[in-house]
Amino acid sequence: MKRLFGIIAVFKTPDEVRGAATRLRQSGYRAFEAYTPYAVEGLDRIIDAGSKAFLPLLMFAGAVLGAALAYWMQYWDEAVNYPLNVGGRPYNSWPAFAVSTFEFMLLAAVTAGFFGMLAASRLPKLYHPIFEASAFARASRDRFVICIESTDPRFDANSIRALFQQLGAERIEEVRV
Amino acid sequence: MAMTLTNELPPEAPVVAPDVSLTSLSEDASGRVLIDRAPRWWWVGFGISVALFTILIIQMAWLFINGIGIWGVEIPVAWGFAIAEYVWWIALASGGTIVSALFFLTRSPWRSATNRIAESMLLSAAPCAGLMPIMHLGRPGLFYWLFPYPNVMGVWPQMRSPLLWDFVCLLCYILMSVMYYYAGILPDLATVRDLAKTRSKQIFYGILALGWRGSVAEWRNQRVVYAIMSAIMAPMVISVHSVVGLDYAGGLTPGWHDTQFPPYFFFGAVMSGTAVIIMLTILVRWGYSLQNVLTEYHFNAMAKVMLLGSLMLCYAYVWEAFGPLYGSDVADKTESYQRMFGFTAPLFWSEKILTVVIPQLLWFPAVRRSLLMLFLISGGIIVGMWQERVMFTTASLEHNYMPSYWGHFYPTLWDWAALAGTIGLFLTVFFLFLRFAPIISLAEMREIIGQEKPR
Repeated sequence: MKRLFGIIAVFKTPDEVRGAATRLRQSGYRAFEAYTPYAVEGLDRIIDAGSKAFLPLLMFAGAVLGAALAYWMQYWDEAVNYPLNVGGRPYNSWPAFAVSTFEFMLLAAVTAGFFGMLAASRLPKLYHPIFEASAFARASRDRFVICIESTDPRFDANSIRALFQQLGAERIEEVRV
Repeated sequence: MAMTLTNELPPEAPVVAPDVSLTSLSEDASGRVLIDRAPRWWWVGFGISVALFTILIIQMAWLFINGIGIWGVEIPVAWGFAIAEYVWWIALASGGTIVSALFFLTRSPWRSATNRIAESMLLSAAPCAGLMPIMHLGRPGLFYWLFPYPNVMGVWPQMRSPLLWDFVCLLCYILMSVMYYYAGILPDLATVRDLAKTRSKQIFYGILALGWRGSVAEWRNQRVVYAIMSAIMAPMVISVHSVVGLDYAGGLTPGWHDTQFPPYFFFGAVMSGTAVIIMLTILVRWGYSLQNVLTEYHFNAMAKVMLLGSLMLCYAYVWEAFGPLYGSDVADKTESYQRMFGFTAPLFWSEKILTVVIPQLLWFPAVRRSLLMLFLISGGIIVGMWQERVMFTTASLEHNYMPSYWGHFYPTLWDWAALAGTIGLFLTVFFLFLRFAPIISLAEMREIIGQEKPR
């Protein structure tokens, strides 16, 4: 017998999955996760999705660092390392450095955001136990899935099945790995 | 803007046809990618594209062996097709980002079905743009000298030059566009992975999807980052095309040395980029039978963006003619006169008709609804913008300050080969996107369907 990873319930509408998540939270379950085909409004207030401010702040930090690095590099190049007198302009001609600084700032912000997004979501992670559930395949299309994991302190297969049935789940399935 | 772009349609007009459901959308759109044998039109289109692409390979080989003397560029007209087409391609690419990023920020619902086409288009056009200046270099193998890297020669790029800014912009733009595209397509790749039947496709799309599961945290992070990326991409693309304008404005040549160039270039980008998206959307809609996803609603909105671009460009044209007239510089006046009534007159006037006069038809709702008319007008705009880029690149150099330094530009067969070849490269890459990646943003369309169904 394979180890039980959790029990999943499949719902048809975003409202049902939101209601179900609220109910699970109220019943005291903690280790559960929802898998949806698009970002369901309000679900991140019920299921913990990590700090919301982290990624914007990371991107901001990326922007600041990127801008500083780009400006420093241009300054070092034009004023310190290879000073070239062009029409008597100052070596540290900041207006001319502004364009590249701006572009590199944005590049650094987007790069920080892109890789930060992957890291914050623990991606890439090519295998996850939830992939074992046959009902999960539709979670990327047209169904809304909730999985209560067996690590939950209140985990009890029978009562969870009963609860899911009560919540109007279209399908209930055990995930074993 | 979302309101004004679509206000003459009834408020309950659907963005997608009522028969589209979450199930049919995913299976339809992913089915195109997973199909074992590509449809015949795809093979025909791809075949033509690869044939054109082959011309580019041959052209590049001959160019790298012989140097740019095989083109029509000469002194005094040292900037010819390559530079003009660089501007033209980057304008088309920029238009893709504008449709994708700017209208994400305005929460325009019509953007969701077209943004992937726009982004695929921009990722296909950007390499063409990047190739042009490299081919134009006398010694293309040394293009990496543009990078500020520590080298034994002790030579560093000139950071104050608009040409270097342009290189930085293009590099940042392409890298950012790839990340922006990938951040958006990640959930859709997961859909394809879950629908894939064969092992090899499951592995291929499984790796590309990076293990996306659609968990709450994943969606939240993706939405947050994507929104900020859009807010960055929109000003980014304006800056990129403005800097392309500075390449010219930074020169002292009459007709180029003009403060209006950055916005002027950007206006052209809005119009020509939207035009190419309209053409591709019409073709994709026909080829993949996506009539119920890409509706009148989308074409109507894009046609209005194109009309707006045309009006803005018209404003720039008026200013371009008014500037020399109002100023006192004889060279400016001469150049402007020669541009309008001299050697480049046919290019000048036909281009004005294609980019300013004919697009005024878009004021009529019936024209905005007719796909044939939209296709023809868009095609005309793209050709017109190409003429415009070639015209202002060469015309100014043809009539520089010294009359003894005047001359004409005559393109050679190899110039045309470079044009045809990059079109081939563009189409080849676009057809590959069409075949291997979902061409409709499924996750965003689902949100729209989810909002529309209860009504």
